[in-house]
Amino acid sequence: MTTWYYTNIVLIQSTFTTLLLALSLQVPMRVGVFSFAGVGCFGLGGYAAAIAMTRFDMSTAESVAVGTALAGVAALLLGLLVQRLTGLYLAMATVAFTLIVSVVAVNGGDLTGGAGGIFGALGDLQTWHLLVAAVVVVALLAMTERGAIGRRVEAVRENPELAASFGINVTRYRVTAFTVSGVLGGLSGAFTILLRSTVTPDAISFHLIVLALTVIIVGGWTSWLGALVGSVIFVWLPSMLDFVGDWEAVVYGAIVALAAVFLPEGVVGLIGATVRRLRRVRRRAGGAGAVPAAAPDADLPDADAASPAVVPPATRGVTQ
Amino acid sequence: MTLQALLDALTLGSVYLLFALGMALVWGTIGILNFAHGVTFMFSAFVAHLVAEQVRLPMPAIVVIAVATGALLSTLTQLLAFQPIMKRARDYRTAEMRILIGGIGVAAIPLAVAQRISLGSPFGYQTSSYRAEVYQVLGLRVTTTGLIILAAGLGIGIGASWWIRASRQGLALRSIGVDPVTASLMGVNRSALALSTMAVAGGLAGLAGALLTYHLGAIASETGDTFLIKAFAIIVLGGLGCMTGSVLGSYVLAAAETVVLVNNWGSWVDAVSFGLIFLVLLVRPQGLLGRAEVRRT
Repeated sequence: MTTWYYTNIVLIQSTFTTLLLALSLQVPMRVGVFSFAGVGCFGLGGYAAAIAMTRFDMSTAESVAVGTALAGVAALLLGLLVQRLTGLYLAMATVAFTLIVSVVAVNGGDLTGGAGGIFGALGDLQTWHLLVAAVVVVALLAMTERGAIGRRVEAVRENPELAASFGINVTRYRVTAFTVSGVLGGLSGAFTILLRSTVTPDAISFHLIVLALTVIIVGGWTSWLGALVGSVIFVWLPSMLDFVGDWEAVVYGAIVALAAVFLPEGVVGLIGATVRRLRRVRRRAGGAGAVPAAAPDADLPDADAASPAVVPPATRGVTQ
Repeated sequence: MTLQALLDALTLGSVYLLFALGMALVWGTIGILNFAHGVTFMFSAFVAHLVAEQVRLPMPAIVVIAVATGALLSTLTQLLAFQPIMKRARDYRTAEMRILIGGIGVAAIPLAVAQRISLGSPFGYQTSSYRAEVYQVLGLRVTTTGLIILAAGLGIGIGASWWIRASRQGLALRSIGVDPVTASLMGVNRSALALSTMAVAGGLAGLAGALLTYHLGAIASETGDTFLIKAFAIIVLGGLGCMTGSVLGSYVLAAAETVVLVNNWGSWVDAVSFGLIFLVLLVRPQGLLGRAEVRRT
């Protein structure tokens, strides 16, 4: 066990940082906005932590705090700035934000070390630090997935107009999601950089956006469990799949494309749907006869297949 | 800005235009933001490069190969990824997002193949029989490649704007963009039209890829990603669903980038398009020539 731990320590640690990064994209998705700003905040948090440590001699904890706080504030401001945008426009504006972070890092002069980046920012982080952070974050996020707040989040996502008419402040939910996304991205960035000890502008790229997105899409975007499953898959798969070797990127691309077509709610969504279907079958077999036609199930892919254009979004989960 | 810089900006703008036009056409009409467009562009140029290494070919043959590859790739993307997603999605909003993700996934495949075969080094058409002639006109350095790009960009840009405004197919395409359901009821064959639009867009991407490779001498596998963001900036700037806007946007972006380059702020050049996206979305979300959209939340 200990040997296994020490040989795989890098993979174990990057499972946690990947999880945090994936969650930072997932949180806005759950309130119905598609934002990649978390990846930009990953860069901000990483750079801020590295600068705090190397230029201002701060301790590891202080550096992480500075990186996380700065990323959170940046995300809050960005959220206020772009709150009018929705859909693809918002997605692309946040891609632009992320790539601007990288350009600023290249041009930051002595502070960011230019294209060469910053070296020697090695913090004394232990795996249990990461574990505690991940558990706390997951516990907090899990609370927003159930009960009244869970239903409100779902309403904001599925039908913002309806949610607003129920007295839910949609804008506040969105801006909050942006801020949380920034904090998580910043935390992940600060952890990652202090573990790696170096940060370069290349670290914040379109490729990282794709990776974080892949994790959520394959794992499942509806719950934290999806992000965890996705992180485990994508951190550990390369070491398992030796035979894939050089064609790793091809396999990943194919997996993402297939998931986008066939698994809109990822592996976790698939398992959930299967469990529900089995339960339904068992209930029917139980012979009560009067099974209420199993609450409108949005997971059925063929439900609205006939008219893909505009269908009134489901209103489930709104009544309280 | 000197005259030479102006000419360079026009040439660069024409490449942008050829690339962005296909993306704008697809997004503005059938509502697909194709994230594989950048890779289609790069991979078409790459396939033409592979063929050119085997056989010594003149420029038109290379361009034809690139255009055909682009059209084929784009058609395959539509058939294998976007069409199934559109069929399965619950509503337009989720379809939009899943198409974005599907496009990102599809894009990773040709990119990885090209990187693997080219071993990460830039590729060009050194073996092609075409050699660019350089003229000095009024103190300006003019190359034949530059002239071809200018003519192709302006010709196709203006032609496409006119075609979509005046022709019957253009009307059908625009009607899908406005209201897909009603358009189908009026007898527009949506999936056939979507497929051919994607093929045309892919062909344009291939053309842009081959011409850019001739112009620069060589391009790298990652060029497509940068172009994708730039094209998005162009479409947003010009206004979605308006081809004239994309023509204008391409030249504005190229001019802005040239100004940055001429003043030796080279490392900020990519920030121009990213910043432009922000600025336009916040100040004038419908773009320079677009119609205003009503959004309640």
